[in-house]
Amino acid sequence: MTTLEVPTSPVSRGHAARRAPGAGIRTRLTPWAYQAPVLLSLGIWVYGPLVFTVVLSLLDWNLTSPSGSFVGLDNYRRLVDEPEFPAALGRTVLYVLALLPFATIVPMALAIMLWKRPGRVSDVYRSLLFLPVVLAPVATALTWRFILDPLSGIANVVLGDLGLPQRDWLGDTSTALWTMSLITAARFVALNILLYGAALAALDRRAFDAARVDGATEWEITRHLVVPQLGGTTVLLCFLCLVYSGQWTFTNISVLTQGGPVGTTDNVYYRLYTYAFTFFDAGTAAAAAVTIVVLLAALFGASSLLRRHRAQP
Amino acid sequence: MLGRMSHRRLWRLVPAMFAVAGVLAAAACGDGSTTPSAGSTPAAAEAIPTLDAATKVTISFLSYNYGTPGLGGTGTQALIDAFQKAHPNITIKPQGVPVADVLTKLRTDTAAGTPPDVAQIGWSKMAEAYTALPITPVQQIPPATEWQQHTAGISQNILTAVASGGVVKAMPYTMSIPILYINADLFRKAGLDPAKPPTTMDEVKKDALAIKGAGAEGVYIGVADDSKSDFMTQSVVNSNGGSLVGKDGVATVGSKPVVDALTAMQDLTQSGAQPAVSSASAVAAFQGGKLGMLLTSTALMAAAQKSAAGKFELQTAAFPTFGSKPAKPTYSGAGLAVLAKDDVHKRAAWEFIKFVTSEAGFEIITSQIGYLPLRPAVTTKLADTPILKLLQPSLSQLDTVTPYTSFKGTQANQAVVALQDEAVAPIVLHGANPGPTLTSVADKIKKLTT
Repeated sequence: MTTLEVPTSPVSRGHAARRAPGAGIRTRLTPWAYQAPVLLSLGIWVYGPLVFTVVLSLLDWNLTSPSGSFVGLDNYRRLVDEPEFPAALGRTVLYVLALLPFATIVPMALAIMLWKRPGRVSDVYRSLLFLPVVLAPVATALTWRFILDPLSGIANVVLGDLGLPQRDWLGDTSTALWTMSLITAARFVALNILLYGAALAALDRRAFDAARVDGATEWEITRHLVVPQLGGTTVLLCFLCLVYSGQWTFTNISVLTQGGPVGTTDNVYYRLYTYAFTFFDAGTAAAAAVTIVVLLAALFGASSLLRRHRAQP
Repeated sequence: MLGRMSHRRLWRLVPAMFAVAGVLAAAACGDGSTTPSAGSTPAAAEAIPTLDAATKVTISFLSYNYGTPGLGGTGTQALIDAFQKAHPNITIKPQGVPVADVLTKLRTDTAAGTPPDVAQIGWSKMAEAYTALPITPVQQIPPATEWQQHTAGISQNILTAVASGGVVKAMPYTMSIPILYINADLFRKAGLDPAKPPTTMDEVKKDALAIKGAGAEGVYIGVADDSKSDFMTQSVVNSNGGSLVGKDGVATVGSKPVVDALTAMQDLTQSGAQPAVSSASAVAAFQGGKLGMLLTSTALMAAAQKSAAGKFELQTAAFPTFGSKPAKPTYSGAGLAVLAKDDVHKRAAWEFIKFVTSEAGFEIITSQIGYLPLRPAVTTKLADTPILKLLQPSLSQLDTVTPYTSFKGTQANQAVVALQDEAVAPIVLHGANPGPTLTSVADKIKKLTT
């Protein structure tokens, strides 16, 4: 084996000779100096509070006493032992499952319809469909309270006039969670139409024109060409639905049912809030927050591994 | 090479070091900003001298009535305006807060070192407030003679009921007790005489079924309260000869009088006399003229009067009894607590409290907001006004008012929520079996309160 020795160029020798003392440290520090503002911000506003929450989850603290007492993993044990948190976790999964079609199938269908008929009417529809995202969530929830009031709400008046049975949609244990999901669904549909619209705008229409020339029907084009190309967006929206289902139902739960009736609309975020600001049990609330973060991180990690596994030949 | 690798690893630790520093800084800020320890109330302090007219002071007043769009908001503003006119050297800086968030806001403000000087706190949360907040007992602020002079004209039964350990820590302010609101038009439509309202729970059920038969809803007894307060539950249970807390302070939620009282409430729902809806829906239905009777706080009086105007004739009746047992309604509403830190602000807070609980103050509170006048002199003065005529049944029951009782310990609020969410609402609105449900919740409450 032959080793080639590269002669040191006179130019680089000159640079080395001219390098001022301490220049090496400065070279190494420069990238960190550029990154420092971002790292500091992340440390103070993101990872700092996260670590603080983990510390808090090991304490028994009522929010007003000067300091909490260390209780180890008792708060986590309490979350597992008491039925409320596991039940709220189960209901959060139900919310995700109930909202998934409204985060994917419904907005995809509406976005494709709007995309296929471009023009002013389509723009008007798009604006109207986007409205639930810009409306104040509390105001929307209060409007739903008046609509669904069991004794004087419009919904039951209309049902009564049509001869259909009237219900207490938010007060009946068999309908409350699904009603709450439908109320929240409008927001998912509205936002995800926009995201699917952006994905559709990036598609090359010439391929679809070519398919039409080859005799493909609109349904075949949609099913075999458009929908598969929206796969990446759909995966992203599924993950966003997983993360935001619990958070977006929170306002509606807080305004409309406070977790009732008999806990049937409670979810992990509302339970966390209840621990912190109804029971003033900051430690258990922090333990719930850490548990949610760990579960979501585990799900994200598992999905990443799955995608990497599938991508391998 | 090895040295260089270690160096690189060291540099990789920089972000982590920043994160830890941030946490420590946050933790340090948190500790530093917290103020007096929970439950620290000064022992019988020296009375604070009066303020001279030249001393200008601004005090903050946290109120769940202030800023609300209804009569509570305008009435509270009228009280503040009248006080500032009478005391130009004291400025009131009001802060509005939703009723459900009062304790949360007070706790977080106290943790931040900026509690309001005076706070309107609901009686159902007062026991927890006494242990968690740096409240100065209001009775200890003025000299004893001044206190006696001011409270001489106030209903002594109320002062005794709200006292804690013989000392009035929070001043009775917006007090209310349950009253039976009646839609006289629906009574007549059902062939009933509104001049002869029901006096017992059995009569309430009978009349409610008659109203239901005439096409409206019958009655709603607000035990399953949306705000998760148990004051109506206590009123019903006490009137049935029971209590939620025994004399020894131990919870008696599973006892027979409690089971029987809630069984009677469930029977109203299952018989169709009472709609299985939330208390907010029932109030809206009554105000819309669709509900015959509503048993709830007198705090709703002014609003009920306003909504009934031109729509239906509003009448009232006293809290119904369980057979021959005496009615023992529990009071609700709020007291005024002083959280001011220094003597000047404490004295200014007392001047404000003294004014709003004077005859002039209670005149505004009763005529504009609708709460009970706790001074008999005001009752006499307003005797001919429509609102006082409607409040009369409750005023006649003031002597039998039973003090609100709190569960023991720091998790008392959690125990109340468990009682209301896991027992009262399931039994009354959703048909849960009263005995086993209350036994199960009683076990949970015992664990939370011991």
